[in-house]
Amino acid sequence: MSYNVLIVDDSKSMRKVIRKTLQMSGFKVGEFLEASNGQEALDLLDGRWVDLILSDIHMPVMDGFTFIQSLRDKDLCKDTPIVFVTTEASEIRLKQLLALGASGYIRKPFRPEEIGTMLSRVMGETDEFAVGTSTEGCDF
Amino acid sequence: MNSQWEPVLKDVISEVLETMFFCMVDFEEGDCEKEDFEYGSEICLLNHKGRLAISLQVKRDFAKALTANLLGIDEEDVDEDDLQDALRELANMVGGGYHARMDNSDLRLGIPRAWKIETSETNGTETTTGLRFGCYGEPAGTAVLNYVPCEAC
Repeated sequence: MSYNVLIVDDSKSMRKVIRKTLQMSGFKVGEFLEASNGQEALDLLDGRWVDLILSDIHMPVMDGFTFIQSLRDKDLCKDTPIVFVTTEASEIRLKQLLALGASGYIRKPFRPEEIGTMLSRVMGETDEFAVGTSTEGCDF
Repeated sequence: MNSQWEPVLKDVISEVLETMFFCMVDFEEGDCEKEDFEYGSEICLLNHKGRLAISLQVKRDFAKALTANLLGIDEEDVDEDDLQDALRELANMVGGGYHARMDNSDLRLGIPRAWKIETSETNGTETTTGLRFGCYGEPAGTAVLNYVPCEAC
């Protein structure tokens, strides 16, 4: 089974890094979609299905908080796991994201195996593609 | 240098560079001549009292190497957009790491920026005090913390 993945980050470099990390960790991706902020992501998701969203928090135009809140308000992607890949340091703000329905978060800088491990849990997979053990912020 | 933030910033810069940019640096004492550096990036930690700016200045060769490492491409394929984007991300991660270690939930991260330092900014003998770091024995960059209270923002 392969997954359609949406990466939301204002940094083109980080989108590339995340994309490459997913490919290297053996995560089976059908289609990669990319957006540079929450608003672009909302526009992209209008009428499209994705299996997983990886999003930054601090972005211009629309940040990660407003993005996930908008998804909830519009009843979009309500069963789609959303993992935040972020430099956010505040535990309070990260807990707010989990309360809004985020599946977890990974702090930057990250090691590739952290993404693999997080995704294996979030997607309900076995350890088939997970090569590491360190995972932060998983609310399971 | 403030003895409290210096080791924290060293630790954060080392962690970010090693984890995401596959690069190890050594820190040195002393001032740096501004003309040494061709690129700058900065992120602010903000609260109602003011802002703490973390500024990085690096040499072009070092910036190119970092960008190539981050993206997994050859240095010759690094373009200007990639380079400045990677430097913004470097500042972003250093700012986030510093915030996490200082354990101050009152602060929030701003949006990072990066720029090419113009020749006019680097003429003269002006020096700056900050953390100097090098890579493989060569000077690579400097990191400076600057607090600006609200009335001066």
